[in-house]
Amino acid sequence: MSTLNDNKKKKIAIRGLGAAMVGFAGWVILLLVFGLIDPNILKITNILNLLRSMSKYLLVGVGQSVILITGNIDLSIGSVVAMSAMVSSTLMSNGTPVIVALLVALAACLAFGVVNGVLVGKFKLPPFIATLGTMFCARGVAYMANGNRNTNAISTGLGKEVGDKFQDFFYYGKTLGVYNAFWIAFIIFAVVFFIMAKTRTGRHIYAIGSNVEAAKLSGVNVFTTTTKAYLISAFCSFVVGLILAGQAGMGNMEAGNSYEMYGVAAGVIGGVSPLGGTGLLLGTLAGAGVWQTLENGLGIIGAPVGIQRIVIGLIVTGAVLIDVVFRQGAGAKKKAKK
Amino acid sequence: MNETIVSMQGINKSFPGVKALDNVHFELRSGEVMALLGENGAGKSTLMKILSGVYTRDSGTVEIFGKECGDLNTKQAQALGVAIIHQELNMCPHLTVAENMFLGREKHKGFLVDTKAMEAEAGRILSDLKIDISPSEMVGNLPVSKQQMVEIAKALSINAKILIMDEPTSALTAKEIDELFRIIKRLRADGCGIVYISHRLEELQHIVDRVTIMRDGQYITSMDFAGTPMDTIITHMVGREIKEKFPRVECQKGEKIFEVKNLNAGKMVRDINFEVYAGEIVGFAGLMGAGRTETTRAIFGVDPKTSGELIVDGKTVTVNSPADAIKAGIVLAPEDRKKDGLCTKLPIRENIALPNLDILCNKLGVVSKKKEDAMCDKAVIDLHIKTPNVEVDAGSLSGGNQQKVVVGKWLARDSRVVIFDEPTRGIDVAAKVEIYNLMNQLKQQGVAVMFVSSEMPEVMGIADRIIVMCDGRITGEVMARETTQAEILTLATQFENKFAEEAV
Repeated sequence: MSTLNDNKKKKIAIRGLGAAMVGFAGWVILLLVFGLIDPNILKITNILNLLRSMSKYLLVGVGQSVILITGNIDLSIGSVVAMSAMVSSTLMSNGTPVIVALLVALAACLAFGVVNGVLVGKFKLPPFIATLGTMFCARGVAYMANGNRNTNAISTGLGKEVGDKFQDFFYYGKTLGVYNAFWIAFIIFAVVFFIMAKTRTGRHIYAIGSNVEAAKLSGVNVFTTTTKAYLISAFCSFVVGLILAGQAGMGNMEAGNSYEMYGVAAGVIGGVSPLGGTGLLLGTLAGAGVWQTLENGLGIIGAPVGIQRIVIGLIVTGAVLIDVVFRQGAGAKKKAKK
Repeated sequence: MNETIVSMQGINKSFPGVKALDNVHFELRSGEVMALLGENGAGKSTLMKILSGVYTRDSGTVEIFGKECGDLNTKQAQALGVAIIHQELNMCPHLTVAENMFLGREKHKGFLVDTKAMEAEAGRILSDLKIDISPSEMVGNLPVSKQQMVEIAKALSINAKILIMDEPTSALTAKEIDELFRIIKRLRADGCGIVYISHRLEELQHIVDRVTIMRDGQYITSMDFAGTPMDTIITHMVGREIKEKFPRVECQKGEKIFEVKNLNAGKMVRDINFEVYAGEIVGFAGLMGAGRTETTRAIFGVDPKTSGELIVDGKTVTVNSPADAIKAGIVLAPEDRKKDGLCTKLPIRENIALPNLDILCNKLGVVSKKKEDAMCDKAVIDLHIKTPNVEVDAGSLSGGNQQKVVVGKWLARDSRVVIFDEPTRGIDVAAKVEIYNLMNQLKQQGVAVMFVSSEMPEVMGIADRIIVMCDGRITGEVMARETTQAEILTLATQFENKFAEEAV
């Protein structure tokens, strides 16, 4: 009775690849369209700038996508970004060695990841509410870090040389001709991509997002898996905070505003389902690219900020709309087979 | 009466890659109960969805009350008197019975909803059917059986003359089934035509007038039910003879593998003690709500235990989570596969790999693609899972194949104790036999097999020893070969004498 033919071998459909490819295609088309309007947009200096600015969206996108795949959301991302920038910059501008400052900021960020994981994974709080709370708390810590003021320049505490080094490392410097900020984001993206695609933790993250009961009954520890996901998100936010501190040379209390939503947008444009269980981080890379290209391109051709927002809004909603319409079509077909 | 009210001729329906219906005929007369039989994937649901307007046919004619109706949509089908009562009930649990019955067509008094009029009307229909439910009751507070009756009442309130029931009894107790049958007979007497889809062949005799049999998207035959032997029906359904409905293999009873001592967990698991030996299948019989599922969940570490000791191969094991249980060699194929068994959005491959990642991963937690593919291919072949490849979403498989994936993911590892909770619910005869064969295989391999089932013939046919539960306690233990259904039923209804307890 076996209908397994020999040719069944390796008809590998990587799930979510289609949506990710659509995202990349969209990105390329966008670049070409902008290039037709203003050839400066395709100049190598602008592309490099674009990749550098994109690093922030890529990182929050990666963090948020992992959370979305578990079927949850992380609203605290933007605030944790600010906290990372403020805590590290406050310490550095007061002369604390860079390593120590970064470790303290990292610890603070990861602590928020753990709290999110405990609230959502252990106490089963709705993630929207749980991370809304931690969102306010992290922003509060960011405000308090330097006594309700933005920090002084990092170089005031560590001297110009170290300060410049820090800024170069996270933002202004280049490696192999591309800005460091992009490399940092890309390496983290690649590592998380690997974790999601190839490791046990990744499988568990997809499983709890698809059906938490079935995952539990398959021996998946829902609490630790949820916490790991929130830790990945917190780590990404931590790095974004450093990139912003590197860019500004100081800490800004309002840094990272709305970044959690930019993260959702990057993921969703790339085909990550906000309902959990499906999505490929490759899509998030495309999503972050689309996002940054729109911002960059619309800025260069002189579109008003209001128009930029409207276009971006339409694209995010449109991406999900297409996804839903497509899925409904596919869903009806699947049901019919029974 | 007895006029043809539905006539479907030469119906074809294709979905991309699948021919779901191939020149199918179907006829329904007024005042009859027509069983629509076939294995999972035979096309019964698709056919009924065409009749109720969910799908449109590719070709063929559909006549309802003698009128050719062309492409139907659900609204039009409803207006023509077609109502479908789904396997999974579609009710809003937070609304009242009356509100559910009039959902979408509420009675109004000016701008306001006329609750009184709706409740009066609902009450009239319910009492007409002799269903004892208050129209102002919250639907979520009703047991499934009553919800189903509300659904039937709802269908009648829109004047349905053609009722399609998809596996209506799968979640009901014997008593509730009697009640349902009473209502079905009543509707039949009123001249309704009823299409009855069920895998539980033994219940057909109480209710069915004619049967239509489908297989692989094709119409096979239809006939009067009376005078047709069940074997003939089964042969038509599977297209070949099933020699044994309950294949049994004999094994030497070996050493003790699994022992549960003084297990307590909440109200439904009270002082459970039993042992399972190598080479035997231990059945767990009882009525719905006897605490069998709760017992398996407590053993598997899903629900917390208040006390109890689990001993595997002579060693006491601590189980506080499913992960602990799996490590100890105890696995559970749960009752409700959609809810508890499968990640429907993930491919078959990932579902099978999920509980076995400890075997498939290296020390860094990286999954070995090679080992994973080997494991999945073996599972698909061993279990005869019908699928084009292992990358297909588990949710897109038919019920029987989904169940095989649920079972398959546990067989891929060496376990000592395998618990099957209602493994054959809602799957077809052929798939059932395959599941039984799997259990027999495990039994031969010396694995302790626990088999929870509410279908008495099945437990008696497959298990060697049967433990009967009632009200969260074990009320008896019988040898399958020596017992009778009556004896099991007596044990299964041995409720505690509450009065005597209080007196003490």
